[in-house]
This record gives sequence, structure tokens and C-alpha cells, in this order.
Amino acid sequence: MNPLLVALAPQIVLVLTALAVLGLGVSIPRARNAITSAALLGPILSVVALHLFPVHGLFLGGMISLTPLAGIFQLVILGLAVVAMVFAADSFPKTHFAESLALVLFATVGMLLLCATDNLLMIFLALELTSIPLYVLAAFDKASRASAEAGLKYFLVGSVAAAFLLYGISLIFGVTGSTNLHAIASFAGPSDPLLLVGIVLAFGGFAFKVAAVPFHLWAPDVYEGAPTAAAAFIASGSKVAAVFILAKFLFGALGPWAGSMTAAGWAPVLALAAAASMLLGNITALVQSNVKRLLAYSAIAHGGYLLLGLASGEPASLPAVLFYVIIYAITTAGAFGVVLVVEHERGGSRLEDFDGLAKSSPGLALCLLVFLISLAGIPPLAGFFGKFYLFATALENPHLLWLVALAIVLNAISLYYYLIVLKHALVLPSHEDRKAGLHGTRALVAALALLVLALGLFPNFFLTPLTQSFHPAVADEAPVPNQTHP
Amino acid sequence: MNSYLLLTLFLAIAIVFPLIPLAMAWAWARIFSPAKPGHDKQSSYECGIESTGPARVQFQSHYYLYALVFLVFDVETVFLLPFAAAFLNLPISAFLALMAFLLLLIEGLVWAWAKGILAWK
Repeated sequence: MNPLLVALAPQIVLVLTALAVLGLGVSIPRARNAITSAALLGPILSVVALHLFPVHGLFLGGMISLTPLAGIFQLVILGLAVVAMVFAADSFPKTHFAESLALVLFATVGMLLLCATDNLLMIFLALELTSIPLYVLAAFDKASRASAEAGLKYFLVGSVAAAFLLYGISLIFGVTGSTNLHAIASFAGPSDPLLLVGIVLAFGGFAFKVAAVPFHLWAPDVYEGAPTAAAAFIASGSKVAAVFILAKFLFGALGPWAGSMTAAGWAPVLALAAAASMLLGNITALVQSNVKRLLAYSAIAHGGYLLLGLASGEPASLPAVLFYVIIYAITTAGAFGVVLVVEHERGGSRLEDFDGLAKSSPGLALCLLVFLISLAGIPPLAGFFGKFYLFATALENPHLLWLVALAIVLNAISLYYYLIVLKHALVLPSHEDRKAGLHGTRALVAALALLVLALGLFPNFFLTPLTQSFHPAVADEAPVPNQTHP
Repeated sequence: MNSYLLLTLFLAIAIVFPLIPLAMAWAWARIFSPAKPGHDKQSSYECGIESTGPARVQFQSHYYLYALVFLVFDVETVFLLPFAAAFLNLPISAFLALMAFLLLLIEGLVWAWAKGILAWK
């Protein structure tokens, strides 16, 4: 069999499933359960394909590059896609139901490709393949004006960010003569200012996906306006893929141009963006009255924490960043699941809608407690260990002490707004009746909460395979493939 | 530092370049064309046709969908033509690859058809 077909089997399976789901959507549009099961089969078969053909190596001169680390991230993204589809199956309207699931599948294909490439052009294509279905998903609720606004804003900001990225790529290609990450890394030129401009522009494109200041403006409106299941996928899956590829881009290709607090390079840019994101995210979240909006500002703050890890420029902080983004994605997906159930019960996601949650559905309130406390970084939950590991490794760079100190102070502040949500959910009473339903989402939220708890108690269970997979790592030397020199 | 200078120069030129025609247009208007506003000059169309109705009219989004479906098959032709021209010299794998490509497009058309996009409402 063609080795490329084997290497791309997980993506091919997903595309075929998406096409089948579209077909089912026009032939049996009313059979919601059948469509959902068919769509869920996609990621499951994709995981099977990932395990059946554990191919590693470079294909098409690095256009496709499969490493054990990429495999782990593909697995995580497929898991997040299942979560998003279960949320969507419970909440999306009847019209165009199959299409919504197919769009999630198409976006997942883009994210998988994003994890498995060494080429800037392929990175751009995969990023667009991820973004375009997500734009549509953000605007999917046709009855809601907020959803249309979310989709349009996400699309407009996303296109500008894509232009930034493309311009940056063209400058990097112009200076180094290659779009391959390894070839760029081995380009032994002086620190050309034009290259630095290219790097900063490309970083702008990625920062949009990570929702880092100053590319964060879309996040609050999109998280609030988009259907909650779509917002959950935007906040989790797309963030994981973007942080992975940003780490690979910075450490794998641009290591020599890291710079420091005193020398020009990408590290000071990242440090500034991290500081701005943490400040703006954490402080603005304090005054939010809508939980989805609050989660958006929390996402901006967490984007700042992740950039902090990358800004340290230490190879040791790379596993910490990647570990933290996975934990963050699982936690946020769970928190959005709780919001989804509350929205179904009360018709909104304002803080008041969470009143009396502990009385009416104690299990769900407990899950919310786990997610928010983990996001705030309190032991014994996964968020604590992730943050501890992230800050500890970032401190190996002594110049970053000010940033880590800022992060810890702001993290303490962040506890306040998470506790406000918990006060509404656990303490304040409510006299309104609640609707039952959404059993799939409830079960999945419970499973995610258990996962967050388990990852907090036994982080090595997941961290060991992650660090072991660094042997032929993102940052490491892989054979430079035959190049596409101009 | 020399290359930073070059970059700054580039930036300066990039800013000045669009400003020159703007400044020239402004100066031209200032010096050679005194403002004499009148009813005819301020109408939407200076050709003399009276405009009727508001400018904001709603378009059917169907136009857009038609154009989209058309575009897909327009691009398809670009691929099919060289394929047909070199058909006799191509291996079987090329044939299969193109059939997969066609299948994807045809599924799209069938889907659009079944969704009622091709029927004018």
C-alpha cells in the first residue's frame, strides 16, 4: 500500500466519515441518533487507525511528519472532538444537524494535520482547514443574532491573522530560502532584522488562535455568542493544536533567534504578550457577569501562562507547556459542558442562572467545582500540577523571574472570579424549576471531571509518555529532508 | 545596524507612497477646482438619471450559493482538462486519484441538490 495513505489514515478516515455523515444528513435527516453514532465512529476509527499504523517519519519532504509526540496530540484532539460532538448532539437544532457534526469532523482533520507537519505552507493550509469550519460553527445558531456576530467577528479577525501569518511566512522564506522547519533551523545566517519581522508577523497569526493580547479581541464575543458546543471546541481543540504548532515553530525552527530580555529575538515579544494577556485576561474577568464571557477572559489569561512557558526559551519548559495546554483544554471543555447543561435548564449562562445548581443537580455542581478549582490552580487537581510544573521550568531562565512573579500574583487574583461562579452555583439559593435532560453531556462532564482529578493525583501517568516522546522531539534534530530550495 | 536602517527606509517609503497621490489630489482640488455645490452635482449619479429608492436592498443569498457551486465546477475543469489531454500516458493511480477528486465534488453537488439549494425560491 502507498505509505502516504497509511500515514494519513487517521485523517482519511475522518474525511470519509464526514462525507458519510453529510450523506446521512440528506437521506435520513430525522434520525438524529443514527447520525450522531455515525459521526462518533469517525474519531473512534481514527484512533484505531492511529494505533494500527504507528508510522513515524517524514513524508513528501517533511510536508507530513509523524512523531510519537504528534501522535499523543492527535489522540488528545480526537478525544476533544468526541467531547465537542457529544455536546453538539445534545444541543444543536434539528435543521442542518448532520452538517454541524460534519463541520466538527472537518475541523478535526485540520487540527490533526496541524500536529503532523514540518512545513510552513502545510501549517498555513492546516490552520485554514481548522479555522473555516470553526467560523461556520460559531455562526451556526441561525436564530441568534449573537451567534451571527460571533461568526462574523471570528471570521474577520481570523482572516487578518491568516494574512499576518502568510506575510510572516513569506518573509521567513525570503530570508532562509525554505519553508521547512528543519531547514530553517539549520540556516546559519546572522540575525537578519527582516527575519525577525517575519517571525513576529507569523507569531501574530498563531497568537490569534491562542487568543493572546493583542490578538484576543474576538475571544469574548465568540465564546459568548457561538453555540456552546462550538465554543467548547474552539476553546479546547483549536487551542491545543495552535499551541503545539507554535511550540514546534518557535523551538523547532527558530531556536537560534530566541533572543533574551536584552537581545532582539522572539522571546521578549512572547514575554510581553504573555504579561499583557495575563494582566488583561485576569483583571477583566473580575467584572464579567456572563460565565461564557468569563471563561473567555480566563482563556486569554491562560494563553498568557502558556506563552510565558514558551518565552523562557528553555527546552525543559516545552513538555510543561504542552502538558499544561492539554490539561487546560480538558478542563475548559468540561466547564463548557456544565455551562451547556445550565443553558439548557435556564436558557442563559449569566451568573444568576447558576443559582441553586448544587440543590437541583449536585453532581453537576461538584464537576463545576472541580473544573474551576483546577483552572484556578489549587491542589490536588490537574491545574495545580500543570501550573507548578510550568512556572518551575520557566524559572530556569533567570531573566523571567519578574514574569513568573506576575503570573503567580495574577493567578491568586484569578481565584476570586472562579469563586464568584462557585458562590452562585453552590451557596446562593434559587426557587426556579430546572428541566432535566442532556444525559450524554452530563455523563461526559462527570468523566472529564474524574480525568482532571486523576491527572492531578497521578500526573506521571500522562507526563511520562509525553516526556518520553520527546526523544525525536519537536525541538530535536530530525534528518533534514531533500529541500525545496528556490 | 545597517539592515535596520534599510527596514526603516522601507517603512518610510511604504507610508509616503500612498500619501503622495492623496496629497496631489487634495492640492489639485484646492487650487484648480473651487467648490460650487449644486443640486445636480450632489446627486448620486452625475449622468443625470434621478435615483429612486434606498440604496440598501436585500439580495437573495441564493445568488451566492449558485456562484459557489458554479465556482467548484469551474475549478474542476482546470484540473480535468490537462488530465484529459494526457489521459493515455497516465498510470492507473492517477486515474483513481482523479476519480476520488471527482467523487468529492459530486458528493458536494448531490448534497447541495438534496438540500434544495439548486431550486430557486
